[in-house]
Amino acid sequence: MKRKLAQPDMFSNGRRRTLRILGASGLVAGALSLGLPMPAGAATGMPEPDEKIADTLKRLFGNRPLQPAGDRIKFDAPIIAENGAVVPVRVDVELPMAKDDYVSNIYIISDKNRRPLNAQFSLTPDSGKASVATNIRLASTTDVRAIAETSKGALYEVKREVKVTVGGCGG
Amino acid sequence: MSTGQVRIRLPEKIKAGDVVTVRALVTHPMEIMAFKDGKPVEKSYNFIHKVEAAYNGRKVFEATTTQAVSQNPFISFQVKVDAPGVVKILFHDTQGKIYEGQAEIKF
Repeated sequence: MKRKLAQPDMFSNGRRRTLRILGASGLVAGALSLGLPMPAGAATGMPEPDEKIADTLKRLFGNRPLQPAGDRIKFDAPIIAENGAVVPVRVDVELPMAKDDYVSNIYIISDKNRRPLNAQFSLTPDSGKASVATNIRLASTTDVRAIAETSKGALYEVKREVKVTVGGCGG
Repeated sequence: MSTGQVRIRLPEKIKAGDVVTVRALVTHPMEIMAFKDGKPVEKSYNFIHKVEAAYNGRKVFEATTTQAVSQNPFISFQVKVDAPGVVKILFHDTQGKIYEGQAEIKF
């Protein structure tokens, strides 16, 4: 099978990016989405087992409560993602980055992926601003959560539904 | 583009004390293990699982990424710059390879 997905060229904004990605990767994404969505694993050589969203949240945060973020988090995700293999997301946290109280972690979690955790970003006060962006894979239409954790342990959550028309073998 | 090529993009004008957006992209297949009926059908399994960034040798950012990050991972983050220096970014993949990229910050 061809493994060549189009380059999601984040450095040149616009320029028919979506079209190119769709054209080149439609086949691959379609074929792979027949299988199960993929797990998130460390350097184990084998995928980690499936995980339910509740278990993921428990593993990451224990029993600490998730507070609704209100306008503390600005979460940019598409309403409809044509291609689940490349879904651009951006998280801006409007909280101070002081030496003793800063945003220490930002999590991106997709409820219906096989392994819900997409990515975890660890920040320091040197970051200046808690703002990250990346491209994620989504297996199907799902709620995507952005969770910000402060160095004092508070957790703020924003949830947004992303509709996926072509599953992106995400895990 | 060959695997492991790291590209870093910085704003054109940077002043001392600015919070700078660093955008980094590495060419990597982010291979995943495909399953059918519970059995792996495609056995390649190699993806970026860790990203580290340091500014003048001081760690400013780290990301734990999973297979649910797209092929050719793109990551953007902020760093506050007080002195000119070098942003260095390391991408670790699950086969132990490390891809490195750096960019210079001048005022």
